[in-house]
Amino acid sequence: MLPLARGIYSNLAQITRNGRVAIHTASVLRCKAENEATAGNEEEKTEASAAPDGKDRTKVIPVETSMRYLKSEAYKTTYGNDFVWTQYRRNHKGMFAPRKTRKQCIRQGKISTGNPCPICRDEYLVLDYRNTELLQQFISPYSGQVLSYSKTGLCQKSHLRLTVAVEQARDCGLLTYDVPFREYDYDEYYGKKEEQQQ
Amino acid sequence: MYLMQQLRKLNALQHLQPTVRQLSTAGLKTSTLQYEKDPQPQFTDAETQNLLQSMTQLQLDKVFRKRTVADNSTQTQFMTTAQLEKEFLLTIEKAKTLLQMPPIVKIKEDTERIISRDPALKDFASTKYVFTDISFGLAQSQRKVVVRDVDGTLAYASLDITKRMNQLYFPLDGRKFYTPRMFSDEQLFQRCLEAHNYEYILDRLTVQYEPYELEFHNISAKVFEHLNESKQFDLLRSTRHFGPMAFFYAWHRCIDDLLYDMIRRDYLLNAVQLIALSYKLHQVPVDYQQTLQKLDALQPSPADKALEQLRSGLRNPQEKDIQDEIQTAIGKSEADFQADEISLQFIEQYIGSEHALKKVQLELAVQTLKEVNLEKLQLYQGLKKAHGVQTA
Repeated sequence: MLPLARGIYSNLAQITRNGRVAIHTASVLRCKAENEATAGNEEEKTEASAAPDGKDRTKVIPVETSMRYLKSEAYKTTYGNDFVWTQYRRNHKGMFAPRKTRKQCIRQGKISTGNPCPICRDEYLVLDYRNTELLQQFISPYSGQVLSYSKTGLCQKSHLRLTVAVEQARDCGLLTYDVPFREYDYDEYYGKKEEQQQ
Repeated sequence: MYLMQQLRKLNALQHLQPTVRQLSTAGLKTSTLQYEKDPQPQFTDAETQNLLQSMTQLQLDKVFRKRTVADNSTQTQFMTTAQLEKEFLLTIEKAKTLLQMPPIVKIKEDTERIISRDPALKDFASTKYVFTDISFGLAQSQRKVVVRDVDGTLAYASLDITKRMNQLYFPLDGRKFYTPRMFSDEQLFQRCLEAHNYEYILDRLTVQYEPYELEFHNISAKVFEHLNESKQFDLLRSTRHFGPMAFFYAWHRCIDDLLYDMIRRDYLLNAVQLIALSYKLHQVPVDYQQTLQKLDALQPSPADKALEQLRSGLRNPQEKDIQDEIQTAIGKSEADFQADEISLQFIEQYIGSEHALKKVQLELAVQTLKEVNLEKLQLYQGLKKAHGVQTA
């Protein structure tokens, strides 16, 4: 097998192995680019970075990376034009889902579940007040409120972080919303009409 | 937690000189353009209000746009024509309240008003006591708030404390206890401006601050200045902030960009009104009232226009006159062409005078508009002739 093809094949195999956990395609694309650049000394590289644990979440991804990721090709191939939560389905027994989602998907720096929530499954989605593009996906276009976890399927911890980030972003003016209308009583500012005439 | 720390810090700073405190809370640099004398009498004048309201226009789509608020349900009802007519009038009234302009008043100075000094009460407690009259139905300005200081003096509370107490007992929807970071951080504020979220900033400003506060003047002046540079005046048209904006430009003699925008969009009546307003504010001896009266007779007010638009949905399509059809196709009626002529004359007179600053630009805009108008007029007359419509 050609070294290039083998590289791609090994990556694909790795993805199918961790398929339920690492949803993003960023690493695949990056590996592909690397392969094309250094097709010669391929073998040592794949072995060195062989099979990073897809469930590991100890690495802190900066917000800037996340913002770039949302605009990238990798994001497009993963989610298409949908929101990050549209394709997600909860696993539960019986007909009805439990009222609340699970408390958290990540325990001790590792994904502890087979079906992590839309935010936890993709490590490049970082909830932060600067990441408005991501936050916008979780705000209802009708009521302007944050969508419920029963709709988006976020775990309780991610949902809390989401609400905090949205509130911060609104405070900073990065997210706009419809401000409640304030009706002025002109008499308070201009004085009563009789006083004005005197 | 962080917020509480911030609040505590602010409280600590209040003991310092007022100038220091303002810098720390306001954060934003003061704007260069300020109302140097009380603008209120000029602003509340009936004629000015008329001009500003007419300039604001009333676009029903924009006033009643779908808001993303918790409850934005709609109601469907069967009605007779008479009921519908009544409902139309109510709709216009409602639109007018939604377009209510925020008041423009001068900045209120904080004065110390001592009620009594009681040295016997010195050190009665280690903190100040604030007493607030929370009886029902009082206006905010009528509500008495007094402070008993540690050294025993009883005085009326400062504006700052009064506002905070009012917010505590009678919270205003949307107002925060702390300054939103958008208004305290220069960079974030600039970012908001660059995103052209002018209406959002101004809406938030009206909720957060009182019109007589320094910050209110400061921030609104900055927004208007930025708007004058970016020239996106259409974003504020038919909102409650358009009137104060036009007044601000007229007061500070920088109406030319707005005027250019109005001419380009073919709002000639508004252009005339803007010039008239600036003449009025600066007491320029030009007789504008006659022109305005003539124009008012020729063109309906914005409220009438909106009402007409509402009623047009009721009309039977077969009833439509051929003349109406020609008018809708071209977008102008005979009266409009007449009004345009009068207003163009007035605008050219302004451009020729020493008050206009961007003469070349304005002249070009007027010239293009004239050519377009002439074409439209020819088309209008041609169509009328072709359909054999008799002129009354």
